[in-house]
Amino acid sequence: MKKSILGGIILAVVMAGIQLIPVNYNQTEEISEKDIFTVYTISKEAETMLKKACYDCHSNNTNYPWYNKIQPISWFLSNHIIKGKQELNFSEFGLYSKRKQKSKLSGIENQINDGKMPLKSYKLLHKEARLNKLEKEEISKMVKNLSNQLN
Amino acid sequence: MKNIVKLSIVAVVILFFTACKNDKKETDLKEGHSNEMNMENEHDMNGSSTDMATVRKSDLTNQIVGSYLQLKNALVLDDEKNAAEAGKGLHKAFESFDMTQLNDAQHKEYMEIAENAKEHANHIAKSDLAHQREHFKMLSVDVYDLIKIAGTTKTIYQVYCPMYQNNKGGIWLSEVNEVKNPYFGNKMLKCGTIQEQIN
Repeated sequence: MKKSILGGIILAVVMAGIQLIPVNYNQTEEISEKDIFTVYTISKEAETMLKKACYDCHSNNTNYPWYNKIQPISWFLSNHIIKGKQELNFSEFGLYSKRKQKSKLSGIENQINDGKMPLKSYKLLHKEARLNKLEKEEISKMVKNLSNQLN
Repeated sequence: MKNIVKLSIVAVVILFFTACKNDKKETDLKEGHSNEMNMENEHDMNGSSTDMATVRKSDLTNQIVGSYLQLKNALVLDDEKNAAEAGKGLHKAFESFDMTQLNDAQHKEYMEIAENAKEHANHIAKSDLAHQREHFKMLSVDVYDLIKIAGTTKTIYQVYCPMYQNNKGGIWLSEVNEVKNPYFGNKMLKCGTIQEQIN
């Protein structure tokens, strides 16, 4: 009995302690010159879709949920964002070589059509990121359109 | 009369194909290759034929092409594990590539190819078969472009499968003049046409 009370207290102290660690925000005021929407002409529909379903982890601007204020959730999210941006960062898309841009575009289409992106855990909490068939087709159209601009 | 002429033309063509096939078995490998090349040309109803291209004879790309072909052959066999291993090998091969033999323009292109290809190789090393194939498609273009700038000592065939990814199609490179499809593996091993012979 005593042990479990002690355990509870320790856990509470640790949890309270880690709340003091500052949260790193992936946010910026400026719109990058190398942003995919600055570099290429993209339909409004596709832009809305990318922004609601992809931008939280694949751009320099995350729209954080309220629970990001809580540790260790914040760490967990921050980790996802770092990895996500390493793979693909729409805010810096224009910095990629043409070859890499083409690869990334095919990758976007494949991942979305295979249902691997957005991540399941993300879709669970973000209804707007659950893309329907028509929305997926919109992405395919955008990829085709951009690939043509690239050739 | 016209019909008889038509018929005899068809008969001659059929005879020619069968002759090619038999020849292939009897002659040595090299002869067989060129015979089959002819056959490919005659076979193609669209009027397009197998292109021939030569690149500089250089063993610079040997390790990369070797790992790529190993990957390709693993995918032909639907072998996810060996494909992943080959992906690792390919990544290493790009890391240890000797860039000093390239001029400035080639060097710039190589850097872009290598950056892209290493990323694909990394993904192949840790993904399931379907995803490996998606990356393999883009990787094949990288390796093809690399051979065009840095050369090879091998004879390489560029093969095209029009059906991969809902008929978007994809190319691959092969060391043998024979269609063995790495995108579909056992499901559709023979889908594809040889488009180009390098060296």
